[in-house]
This record gives sequence, C-alpha cells and structure tokens, in this order.
Amino acid sequence: MRLIIHDLDQADFHRISAHSPGDQRVVSPGNGSIAHCLGCFGCWVKTPGACVIRDQYGDLGELLAQCKEVTIISRCCYGGFSPFVKNVLDRSISYVLPFFVIKDGVMRHKRRYAKSARLRVWFYGEISEQEMATALGLAQASAVNLWWDLVGVSFFRDAAELEGQML
Amino acid sequence: MKIALINGSPKPHRSASGCVLNYLTPLLEQEGHSYVNLSLSRPHVDPQTVHELSQCDAFIFVLPLYVDGLPSHLVSCLMQLEASLAVSGRGQVVYAVVQCGFYEGHHARWALKLLENWCSRTGLCWGYGLGFGGGAMLTAITKVPLGSGPTRSLARALKQIVASLGRGEGGENIFATVDIPRLIYKQAAEMGWRLSARSNGLKVRQLYLGR
Repeated sequence: MRLIIHDLDQADFHRISAHSPGDQRVVSPGNGSIAHCLGCFGCWVKTPGACVIRDQYGDLGELLAQCKEVTIISRCCYGGFSPFVKNVLDRSISYVLPFFVIKDGVMRHKRRYAKSARLRVWFYGEISEQEMATALGLAQASAVNLWWDLVGVSFFRDAAELEGQML
Repeated sequence: MKIALINGSPKPHRSASGCVLNYLTPLLEQEGHSYVNLSLSRPHVDPQTVHELSQCDAFIFVLPLYVDGLPSHLVSCLMQLEASLAVSGRGQVVYAVVQCGFYEGHHARWALKLLENWCSRTGLCWGYGLGFGGGAMLTAITKVPLGSGPTRSLARALKQIVASLGRGEGGENIFATVDIPRLIYKQAAEMGWRLSARSNGLKVRQLYLGR
C-alpha cells in the first residue's frame, strides 16, 4: 500500500491524484482537524503503538507500518514541513520504539515493525536556496530515523505546478 | 538588555526545555540582563506575546526536537510571528537551544537551520544555536547545579550564548551532550521507559508490540 500525506486543498489534490493507480491511503486536512503532539510519550508507555489522543490521527504509526511507499506533499515552511504535515509526523512516533540502538555510530530509536518503506517528498512554495538545502537534509534525516529509504525530494513553485506529476 | 525567553515545549510542566531555561535565567541575571518568560505551547500566538517580543532586544528559543525538526505547533507559531514581527520587529538577534532525547546534540542541526531560515524571512538576525543531546535526563537532575557533573558541557554552552548575546555576536551553531558515557545514558533512559510502563500497568514486553 502507498500512503500519501499532504496539505493540499481537495481540488488541488484531486487534479494530481485523479489518474494515480492502485492501493493507496490518504492523510490530509480533509480527514478532520488534528490535535498537536503533547510530548507525553503515551504512545510508547501507555498505549504502545497508538497515540493517546483519539482523534482521526491516533493510529498513524500502525498505518505507516502497512505501507511500502510513503509520499509526502507539503508546503515548504522555512525548509521544513508545513504545520499539518509535521503534525502527522509528530503524531507518528509510535512507528518506532522508545528504546535505542546505535546505527552508523549515532543513536537512533529501534524499529517497532520489520517492514521498511520508500519515502518521496514533494515540497512546494516559494523556496530559497538555503531552505532547499535544509529541506534536503531534513528529509534525509527523517528517513534515517524512521528507517525509511529516501528515494527522492522534489521542489515545485506552487501547488499548480504539481499538476501532471505522476503520483 | 531585555531578553525574551521563549519556551517552545508543548508541555506546561516538567519539560526538559523548562529545565534549560531554569539554568539559563541566573546566567542572564549575573550579566545584568532582564528577561521575560514566554510560552509557545499551543499552535496560536496571542497578541500579548507579540507585544512582549517587540519590546525585547534579543530572543532565546528553548525547545525540544520533534522528528528531526520543530514541533508542529511551533511551526504554526513561527508562521504567525513572521507576519506580525515583520511589522513590529526591530531586527532582534535570535539564539536557540534545541534539546533532544538522543545522546548526540547534532541531531538538532536541521531544527536550528529551520529557525535560522525563519529569521531570514522575518527580518530578524540569527545569532546561533545549541543542539543539546541527552536532554531527557535534565528533568531527572534538576537538583544538580549547572556546571556540576552531567551539566558541565551545558554550562559552557549556555555561558557562551549569554556572552555572545551581550555583545550581539553571531557564530556557528554549537553541539553538546550530557556529560555521562553514552552507554550509561542509554541504559538509564531505557530503564526510565520500563519504569513508566510498569507504572502504567504494562509489562515491559508490551512496549514492543506492533498493534
């Protein structure tokens, strides 16, 4: 399954997704308002694998575990993800374990699930060169810490430019 | 100088960011600075906070690292502040401490870059930031004076930031970690998770379950 996490409005997303093939799930603001992560670590030590906030975004870790591919489409904010997309990632930390492992000489969280996924990131918006460099580094770091393979980061001037891209 | 101390943690109490701020305030007082404590714990910035920021000469953000970047609620706040400080800002110098649960402070490097980029868009002057590893330990050692035992490196880094702030200086980001061996830190943190699980009525093996 492929998971698409995006912050586009429905019309913009429909224009790029109309011809996309197959088995996919979409996480977007259209799913409902999202509460922000409180940093309580309840998803690790109270209800392992699930967020204690039981809104529409409470089982994102489990959803990620079902994916072979994750595509993130986000407005680029200072070289990072938009508040909605970042919130989805923040609410997904149950995807990994609280316990640590040393990988490539650096501390990481152990993986909860055996399967890995490929990550593609599409940033859109007016993006400076410095922000672009940050976005590339951030996407790579996020992929490493979530045990994903980063297969591409692309930049677009605006949401309209996404039209015609193969999802 | 009047300094805005901005706590970017979503936790109202017992946050590692709050611990850093508790260490920082006496250092500012020793140098004769005044300060105002501000909290950005929700994705909205109230007008009073904007007003307070506009009255300050420099900002110090202290925040936790979330998935290699800034907590989402703080990104929302920065976007709101970008608009309001473009009007009321005075090109203040911005410093930051990003603390993380990983041992190595350099995990925070992209979060610091995000703040630097925000300064560029907002017309503020980026000083530099500290990426601090082992932040999860700070809430357990609140009685340890800054500069003693595991807080020696943190003390050096915070003093450097306060000295730079007094001179309005910028510089390269710095990275530090709690002063205990990595293996000990790892074991202590993992013991903490196990104790939390037990206090929540779980068996340790349940922490590993996929749902």
